[in-house]
Amino acid sequence: MIRLATDVGGTFTDLVGYDERSGELFTAKSLTTVKNQSRGVLNAIALAEEKCGLRTRDVTFFAHGGTTVINAITERKGVRTALVTTAGFRDVLEIGRGNRPDLYNLQFHSPEPFVPRELRFEVRERLDASGNVVLPLELDDLRPIIVRCIEEKIEAIAVLFLHSYANPEHEILCAGILADALPEVTVCASHTVSRQWREYERTNTAVLNAYVQPIIQYYFERLEEALMKRGLTCPYYAMQSNGGISTFDQAVSSPLTLVESGPAGGVAGAARIGEALGESEVLSLDVGGTTAKCSLIHDGRPTLNVDYKLEHTRIRPGHPVQVPVVDIVEIGSGGGSIARLDDRGALRVGPESAGSTPGPACYGHGGKKPTLSDAILTVGIFDPATFAGGSMHLDKQKAADAIATVATPLGMSIEDAAIAIIDIAHASMINALKLVTVQRGHDPRDAVFVVSGGAGPALATRLGRDLSVKATVIPPHPGIFSAWGMLAAELRADFRGTWFSALTAAALGELCSRFDGLEAEAIAYFAKGHDADIRFTYQVEARYRGQEHGVFAQFDRNDDVESFAERFHAAHERAYSFRLAGASIEITTLHLEAVLNGPVITLPSLPTTGNSIVAAMTGRRDVYFGAALGWVSCPVYQRGLLGAGQMIDGPMIVEETTATTLVLDGQVLEVTDTGILIIRENSGEAE
Amino acid sequence: MTTGGKLVDPVTQEIIEGKLMATVDEMGIVMARTSMSPVIYEVLDFACGLLTADGELVAQMNGITLFTGTFGVQVKALIEKFTGNLADGDILLSNDPYAGGTHACDFAIVKPLFVNGEILAYAINVAHYLDVGGSVPGSLAPDATSVFQEGLRLPGVKIVRADVFSDEILHIVSENVRLPEIALGDLNAQVATVRVAGRRMAELAARYGASVVQAAFANLLNASETRSRTAIAALPDGRYEATDIIDGDGVSQEPIHVKVAVTIAGDSITIDFTGCPPAVAGPINCARGALQSAVRTIVKAMVGPQDPSNEGWFRPLTVIAPPGTIFTAQKPSPTGWYYEGSVHASELVWKALAPLMPSRFSAGSYSSLCVVYISGRDRSGQPFIHIEPQHGGWGASEHRDGAGALIALTDGDTYNYSVEVIEARFPLRVKRYGFNVEGGAGAGRRRGGFGIVREYEILGTDASAYGSFGRTATQPWGMDGGGQGTVNALQIAPCTGRSCSHLWPRCSYRTQQGRCVARHHRRRRRVGRRRRARATAYRARPAQRLSD
Repeated sequence: MIRLATDVGGTFTDLVGYDERSGELFTAKSLTTVKNQSRGVLNAIALAEEKCGLRTRDVTFFAHGGTTVINAITERKGVRTALVTTAGFRDVLEIGRGNRPDLYNLQFHSPEPFVPRELRFEVRERLDASGNVVLPLELDDLRPIIVRCIEEKIEAIAVLFLHSYANPEHEILCAGILADALPEVTVCASHTVSRQWREYERTNTAVLNAYVQPIIQYYFERLEEALMKRGLTCPYYAMQSNGGISTFDQAVSSPLTLVESGPAGGVAGAARIGEALGESEVLSLDVGGTTAKCSLIHDGRPTLNVDYKLEHTRIRPGHPVQVPVVDIVEIGSGGGSIARLDDRGALRVGPESAGSTPGPACYGHGGKKPTLSDAILTVGIFDPATFAGGSMHLDKQKAADAIATVATPLGMSIEDAAIAIIDIAHASMINALKLVTVQRGHDPRDAVFVVSGGAGPALATRLGRDLSVKATVIPPHPGIFSAWGMLAAELRADFRGTWFSALTAAALGELCSRFDGLEAEAIAYFAKGHDADIRFTYQVEARYRGQEHGVFAQFDRNDDVESFAERFHAAHERAYSFRLAGASIEITTLHLEAVLNGPVITLPSLPTTGNSIVAAMTGRRDVYFGAALGWVSCPVYQRGLLGAGQMIDGPMIVEETTATTLVLDGQVLEVTDTGILIIRENSGEAE
Repeated sequence: MTTGGKLVDPVTQEIIEGKLMATVDEMGIVMARTSMSPVIYEVLDFACGLLTADGELVAQMNGITLFTGTFGVQVKALIEKFTGNLADGDILLSNDPYAGGTHACDFAIVKPLFVNGEILAYAINVAHYLDVGGSVPGSLAPDATSVFQEGLRLPGVKIVRADVFSDEILHIVSENVRLPEIALGDLNAQVATVRVAGRRMAELAARYGASVVQAAFANLLNASETRSRTAIAALPDGRYEATDIIDGDGVSQEPIHVKVAVTIAGDSITIDFTGCPPAVAGPINCARGALQSAVRTIVKAMVGPQDPSNEGWFRPLTVIAPPGTIFTAQKPSPTGWYYEGSVHASELVWKALAPLMPSRFSAGSYSSLCVVYISGRDRSGQPFIHIEPQHGGWGASEHRDGAGALIALTDGDTYNYSVEVIEARFPLRVKRYGFNVEGGAGAGRRRGGFGIVREYEILGTDASAYGSFGRTATQPWGMDGGGQGTVNALQIAPCTGRSCSHLWPRCSYRTQQGRCVARHHRRRRRVGRRRRARATAYRARPAQRLSD
């Protein structure tokens, strides 16, 4: 009964295996093999077999996540792709939205399209916004295109016709002819990946899907073959960007759904932890090496981003894609983020990162620039001797030397400069965490705050205090939480479609029958028969008449106009702080979330009458809390030795192999019966 | 860092600055996502900002450049008007073009943010309203000759007192605009954003104290000023001049000659528009607030394009312009299409400075926002107004061809309109949307970017269309010996026939069902090193296309 997950990252391939009966954990890390990533995956499996006795024949669940899709896109390593589109509109892909977010840059350019102009072909056909045929598809136009595709050695073709979200018939016909004529070529019709309007965004979605599809297909075929040879005969799943998993076949037909596969694993894990604690509102933060990512789980479900864009920054428009992606706010503050003085002498942290090579100065691999990890070590939260389970000795002097490069110009002591670096990273994390909560109408006081990543637990309790969260939670294995989250993910698919109507009783009837249609698609997608145990959640995007952007509100099949309107008003008010009680409401989009119920990862119980608190304490360490409090001696505990139900007052430190947790004065740590650490403010009692 | 005896440590400074940006971004998101006007949610013709108690801009959202300089002038005018007469919970409304505003369509909502009975800061949100009354739907008659044809003006009124909307003013607004439901929806959205700002600044003051926050404002402005002066000091001292022609004002097609002299002396820059003609009869005049934006846009592009904007960057800048000119219009000169005038103030400064900093400047662009208004009744008989700026070609630069199909300088993070969205919403069909590649790729070592062709068919009955296009006769300028670009054009034709006619570029046109409006932007082209450039002038051909 082992659940196994591998997460292929840029540098390392992480493996986590978990025996649900014994709670036994297997971990391994191998170098990512760039050319053929399945080799790195097999290496990690072999390593886990040798090192910790992983038994592949006991594996009953295998989840795979990684950066294959996003790397193929960002490194422009997809296949040679063509576009077939409505006559008069072949430049839509290149024009994009024509915006200049870098507004004072007089040399601004839009991002390069993934299909050049000479490979964008036009076909005469036209539908109107209701899906009526205005001009039938001109089949004669396809012949020369097929010839060109052969000449140009095209490997994938995206097909987009205007208004295909309302009526896909022309796309189906065209894609069918192309597929018959070009059997070796991947053909992706836009309606198969998105049924939302906005032609540029949908074209880009179809193009990117086509662009990576042959690569992903090849990749999964090889991986599957290799896993079979290895004796892993359980079902294989791929981690999707929506926080759920899919089968390999499903992933291959819609590879763009894997675009944020890695980060989504962490969100799935946070949702599972929330469920285990009986909490439906979870704020998650994962502090990695270069960035910190935060996300909100509302009503027990990850929030999806309605406006996801690849390679998007404040000054770059990026590439929008219409696939369900967990709403993650990412900021450039991670353990490896470099602190520096800018040209006006102000202290900044990130977004530049020391990465894994050379890494923070304290790693001793040649890094000379001060990083957030150096600051955390300097103030005494990390122990140079026990970091990463003692496998890596940290050099305090090198950290101090690096920090001196900013401390000296600022006229600060080394430890005060270290606190300043932590303060700045803390403030930008607070801004990001507020962005996913307060600024979207959610109150962090209703949420538990699940913090993971190597440096996360060292910073967690102060963030939690500033946000006044219900509790700060350190999950099991915080340093490899993304991979753990993949073990916790469930089979999930999202179906979304643009549909326009005023909110009326008749529209609600139509809505129900449209959801019936989507449910039938979901049942077919999971292919477990009509009795499949599927959890459906219905969401409807609506807006006040005249508005453009909508707000998703939960839809209940028993809703009448008043009850749905009230839920919409409330959602609008939560998101934007006001409601327009008298205004008419319009429906724009349906969204069905379908999750196939199945066994989920269990959290094994800790022995209740284990060690005493004293036995778990391994020593004391001085931690610097800033000029006001100075150095404070804190007891240090070993996480693995803590027993269920134990409660310990801060200030204190909890160490484990992948992370170090700091509990502040005035806080109390509680160990749940499944070993989760919960930190709350010690309310009301005399300090 | 000290100001007024108050010390702000660099860490607190950094944290407060981060919070200011987060606040204006949050205001922008709320506005864009709740507005009812496409010109706001799609075109992003709005902006939000925070100013000091003295009306100096400290933070502004990333939106469009038209409001780069207006906030300070506008808030200072309101401070003067309301001295001693502001209380916590008040919100002001102004749309006066002559008091730092732009045109009557832009409603400014300003909230003084009180902390402990004192004003800590002001929050502002300026947004373009779909219609504010006046002689035509959309309020921007391209041939208006007086501000009184351009709709309702409310030059500084309390729209909210003690957190309660003034029913009288709401009533005045709703009775004087064509689409009151949309106007009041947008007003609600604007008020929501300044209230959000109030909450965020209160959090900041509670955490660090009002005096620390104010000192941080001062530090931020001083630091930006220092960087701006450093950048200017690096440029060679001298006087740099440029001239240009504005192609008609909407009333007459006569060319309007404009000029500028830019003087760089040490770490200061003076920009002098003396010699520009008096305000013209038509509505392409701009007033002093819009002129400030126009000039500052280019100064910012030169001294620190990627850094957040605030008043400090512009302290080294002096703008000289006598009152009553085309760039400093006074009541009752019409200013409805002010950005068609103000963009030429920007381009003059751009053209004068471009040779000094080829690494940051490009050659001239299609310039005009080329906005078209189409109004009428939709299938259900409801009135609609569709406002759409058009994207166009930008100039080449030292190392790269010009960018194709980007929004004009006056805007910024402004999206084009989705064809699918337009067709679902309005009785219009877009027949074609693509690059205008006719006439070759352009002359010079680096060619200019491609403009676009966009063709519409009007499906409804009784529609009217109007627009005001600039650069319809005077070609975009080349740089360093490169050729000139091509001009913008607007054409119209009956769907049934093959003939089409060039329209007078700043005009109104009434159409019946089955007729077709087409817009045609020519590619602009340009720049090259003289050594390699061959052709110069673009062979402008009359556009022939229209809908099939």
